[in-house]
Amino acid sequence: MTNLTSLNYLQPELILTATILLMIVVDLFYSAKKSRRIGLWALAGLVLAFIYITVSGFNIPTALFLGSISSDPFGIFFKVLILLATIMTILVSFSERDLSNQRVGEYYILLVIVTLGLFFMVSATDLIMVYLSIEVVSIMSFVLAGYLRGNRRSSEASLKYVIYGAFSSGIMLFGLSILFGLTGSTNFFDIRTGLMELQNGADLALMLSTVLIFAGLGYKISAVPFHYWTPDVYEGAPTSITAFLSVAPKAAGMALIIRFFNSILGGEGVFTELEWGTFSAIPWTQLLAVLAAVTMTVGNLIALRQTSVKRMLAYSSIAHAGYMMMALPVLSQQGVYGIMIYAVFYLLMNLGAFYVVMIIANATGQEDYDQFRGLGHKAPLLAILMTLFMFSLTGIPPTAGFIGKFYLFAAVIKAGPSFYWLAIIGALNSVISLYYYMYVVKTMFFTQEKTSITQIEFKGISILVIVLAIPTLIFGIYWTPIADIVHKSLAIFIR
Amino acid sequence: MDQLQTYLIIGAVLFCLGLYGVITRRNAIAILMGVELILNSANVNFVAFARFGGMNMSGQIFALFVIIMAAAEAAVALAIIINIYHLYHSINVDEPSELKL
Amino acid sequence: MIIASLFILFLPLLAFLIQIFWGRRLPRQGDFVAIAAVGGTLVIALGMLLAILLKFDPGFQREAAFEWVNLGAFQIKLGFLIDNITVIMLVVVALISTMSHIYSTRYMGGDPLYSRYFAYLGLFTFSMNGIVLANNLLSLYIFWELVGVSSYLLIGFWFQKDSAADAGKKAFLTNRVGDLGFFIGIMLFFTAMGSFNYQDIFNGVANGQLSGIMLTLAGLGLFCGAVGKSAQVPLHIWLPDAMEGPTPVSALIHAATMVAAGVYMLVRLFPIMTPDVLIIIAYVGGFTALFAATIAITQNDIKRVLAYSTLSQLGYMVMAVGTGAYTAGFFHLVTHAMFKASLFYGAGSVIYAMHNALHKLNDHETDAQDMRNMGGFKSRMPITYWTMVVATLAISGVPFLSGFISKDAILAGTLAFAGHSPQHFLVPFFGFTAAMITPFYMLRLIYLTFHNEPRQTHIYIKIVESPRAMTVPMIVLSSLTFFAFYTLPQFNPFAGNGWFTSLVTAQDSLVTGFAVVSAHEFAEQVHHNHTLAMILSVSLAGLGILFSWLFYLKRKLSADAWAQRSGFIYRWSFHKYYIDEIYDRFIYQPFLRLTDKVGYTDWDLYDQKFIDGFGRVSEKLARLSGTIDWEGLDKMIVNGIGRFFQRSGQSLRQAQTGRLQNYLLFALLAIIVILIIQVL
Repeated sequence: MTNLTSLNYLQPELILTATILLMIVVDLFYSAKKSRRIGLWALAGLVLAFIYITVSGFNIPTALFLGSISSDPFGIFFKVLILLATIMTILVSFSERDLSNQRVGEYYILLVIVTLGLFFMVSATDLIMVYLSIEVVSIMSFVLAGYLRGNRRSSEASLKYVIYGAFSSGIMLFGLSILFGLTGSTNFFDIRTGLMELQNGADLALMLSTVLIFAGLGYKISAVPFHYWTPDVYEGAPTSITAFLSVAPKAAGMALIIRFFNSILGGEGVFTELEWGTFSAIPWTQLLAVLAAVTMTVGNLIALRQTSVKRMLAYSSIAHAGYMMMALPVLSQQGVYGIMIYAVFYLLMNLGAFYVVMIIANATGQEDYDQFRGLGHKAPLLAILMTLFMFSLTGIPPTAGFIGKFYLFAAVIKAGPSFYWLAIIGALNSVISLYYYMYVVKTMFFTQEKTSITQIEFKGISILVIVLAIPTLIFGIYWTPIADIVHKSLAIFIR
Repeated sequence: MDQLQTYLIIGAVLFCLGLYGVITRRNAIAILMGVELILNSANVNFVAFARFGGMNMSGQIFALFVIIMAAAEAAVALAIIINIYHLYHSINVDEPSELKL
Repeated sequence: MIIASLFILFLPLLAFLIQIFWGRRLPRQGDFVAIAAVGGTLVIALGMLLAILLKFDPGFQREAAFEWVNLGAFQIKLGFLIDNITVIMLVVVALISTMSHIYSTRYMGGDPLYSRYFAYLGLFTFSMNGIVLANNLLSLYIFWELVGVSSYLLIGFWFQKDSAADAGKKAFLTNRVGDLGFFIGIMLFFTAMGSFNYQDIFNGVANGQLSGIMLTLAGLGLFCGAVGKSAQVPLHIWLPDAMEGPTPVSALIHAATMVAAGVYMLVRLFPIMTPDVLIIIAYVGGFTALFAATIAITQNDIKRVLAYSTLSQLGYMVMAVGTGAYTAGFFHLVTHAMFKASLFYGAGSVIYAMHNALHKLNDHETDAQDMRNMGGFKSRMPITYWTMVVATLAISGVPFLSGFISKDAILAGTLAFAGHSPQHFLVPFFGFTAAMITPFYMLRLIYLTFHNEPRQTHIYIKIVESPRAMTVPMIVLSSLTFFAFYTLPQFNPFAGNGWFTSLVTAQDSLVTGFAVVSAHEFAEQVHHNHTLAMILSVSLAGLGILFSWLFYLKRKLSADAWAQRSGFIYRWSFHKYYIDEIYDRFIYQPFLRLTDKVGYTDWDLYDQKFIDGFGRVSEKLARLSGTIDWEGLDKMIVNGIGRFFQRSGQSLRQAQTGRLQNYLLFALLAIIVILIIQVL
């Protein structure tokens, strides 16, 4: 489709772009005190885009802009997820204590730009677009992570993030350049054709480029061993941003990886049949399987030994990336289905858990386990909600997390005996994670009070936590609507 | 074909130098320069492939985009480094290490 | 019936929700809400019991299901299955739960978390009813986990005590071990049949969709769940510790209902168990019965004796399932629920009296649960004494009481089993030996607590009978041990048949491909062995009673001297065969060390060894590069890398965690490693 006609399919992105431009202008007229109101503009734009997407629904998969991005239900599904995460983030940012004493206009502008970048990330079908969108998201995230300028931890986080991020994208870029050299195209589908015609002698180069590219993508979803930035950045960044980073870019990264491997390395029958084809020369399925196993194991084991709940959640988010990755190498529609369902539930429960931490941090200024001691007596409702999120993250029924894991494991087991080991490792990891999630619960209910909280204010953020908790519970019992939506979203653009 | 090989070797060398710089330097700006080397090694590859590999223009275009992005990235990174300098009075990347384990 | 069961399921849940959110604000902290809810379930359950008695149809069955998830090929239906077994079990749960609620109003009175306690009890009752009513493995599993959670909450209810919090954790974790197998078993059935529904699975097994070794494995998986929940060896370790919970909880959850859930599940799914699984079940159950009984002899804590006796009786039930006499196992489940709950209430009553006495004496040192501080309480608490004696005689298998009938049926079943396969003679041996030990240690408890002269006179004089809210449940449950409640319309204490055995009849095994004994054939053999079993069990019980009498009432034989003489056997039993210590040594500690190791690898090892090594390598590289004119190249590209070679080597050596470049380096090395692996 040509550039002009493509615009018809791009309304949500255009709405976001207009919002960004408008916000930049409007921000000039707000004083530092009132700059918080920019958030309302951002909210308006995001909600508008959200309404637009949901009302217009799924379309037939189409390639836009001469094949550089595509518009398909798969992408739209992730766009909705991303919008939800951003809207939540903006809502909680209003009550983030750390942000309250500085100018926050840009903060909201940057968040909307990240959203735009993520939109392109989930629909890119061209290497240039992949690189551009990843960079847009990364660069904005660097700034957001370091938004608390005077705060040493936040600044350190952003320094580590920017250097690690630039390094990873550089490595990935080198891999992309080799891929381009091998196939002569930047378009996913041309690359696939090119690869099929390739002589066997290029296996090594292909392998090198695949590994380098995966290093870049792995950084985005914080897969071990490219996860090293995650805990530090998550701990140092403002909690609202940490929650956002742990959810939205990760979901987009998963979407990008699925699309990338499916379109380039996958064979003919893509989302419609059970099996993806694969180039036998590169054993990338085994590689992914091993990385998935390592990712969840490392994430869980280190999470065991944390003293800060926020940092624990950072490591646990690594583990959850591992769970999702587990369903990638089985190369089946069911696997993608599992990942998508899990992404929804993970968004709910992880944001919920982070927001509880944020409420505590707002009230006490700290995120240690100590602040959770005896929370069950001081603020029973909050503690119960946190318990629900912990249960869900562990995957204990009847919570959404259990359903998500169920689908992931089902996909892995269905893939046949050669993946049983992966399912077993996944199951063992769930057991390990039980320990540290339950430790939070135990700390809240079964220890002497130590938290310095005197009063939890029942305002915006608390309501948001409840809003997240209700579906976490309900989808654990009745998730057919979500499953239906995901089922309908299982259509990806192919050529 | 020989010419292509030469450029590819230059690209690979640049890539390795960049990696080495990134890993070994303490100075944040020097690390950033290492990153730039990596990016430019990829650029060399892109352009060389497009020019000598008998391929279309997308290589050059890619390189242009990379240059733009590299500039943006460097701008943000420098801003962050300045911020670090204000807080630590140093741009040694080892200085900020409160976040660990 | 389905509507009625909906009420039974959801009334306790409603009570739970009201209690947890508004409990504290209600008058009396809302205990009446909880009691009304479970009382309501009891009334409904009794109505259902009346209905099945009027129908008197052994094949009675009602099923209702709704579609829960439908994704084309993937469908899950959840629902209820109500038959005679379900109804009887519902009555048991509702009855004991109601009694525990009433009992708790006094026993837990004044506790700061009084309303939350009742909330947890409501949650438990809801989950337990869910297990009972389930018609499929999936909802069974969900409720199975929920009872686990409520049990965890109630065991750790007095979490200020470390031991209670630890016991809760231990119960939860130990159960997870069993549940892992349970889950695998469920999934094996699901993959083979495409359904969780019991009837579908039964049909599938009958059609041979799952057979041979896979069916055995799946059955073993399910049994793993029962081993965890019903605390069979080797996962029995949590139950004695669970006694840290409040006593009414021990009575309700850890004696009468939840721990019986494993047995209930095996009874429900008996027709699909292969003979191989059944043999394992029989051995595990039989061994547990004897093993726990030998520990119970030496314990001094009144609740622990009861805990081990519960283990032993659960072993009986499991063994019964294994031998094929699974209806007898279920029968014993019901009778045991009554007398064991009664015993726990009695023990709770004694502890309550001890607590109050110690409180008045301002004594915080003496252990209120240690039988060595008791003695002679008979005259002080007559109601507690007599109800406990009745329940003790029932558990001992004395004729005219319920335990006699049900235990007899089990023992006859083991004899029939051994008659059919003589190589398994150990199973009846376990059963009969435990039958002899049971009266011994149970009467020991009675004698030590209630008879002879008081050991601590100053406590003794402060002991008073418990209030009516506690004695009434004891009286109700101990009177339910009278045999006629289970044998009507028959009135022959030795016949062992009546409405119960008529309504709960054995089904044939559906397993194909194995040589199985039909239910009818087995019943014949049981009938054959009935008299022998009765004579044996009565005489063995008499022997146990006699010895206990000699040891602890008449003191003709000295228990201490015997303990001395038996040496290490006594010590082993006293220390519960050191099972906990063995697990600690060989499972927990190695695992803790493993996590330490991993943490070590990830940070310390990586830092110290790796970064160090890298520093050294790069130093060497630096020296090497000095020889080829590297310096000039450096100056041209990046300002003087050469000089920094040395320095970077040094600083890398001192590198600490949290350093950015360690991260970069590690990522890079990971890429290289992956590449090497890929190339190879």
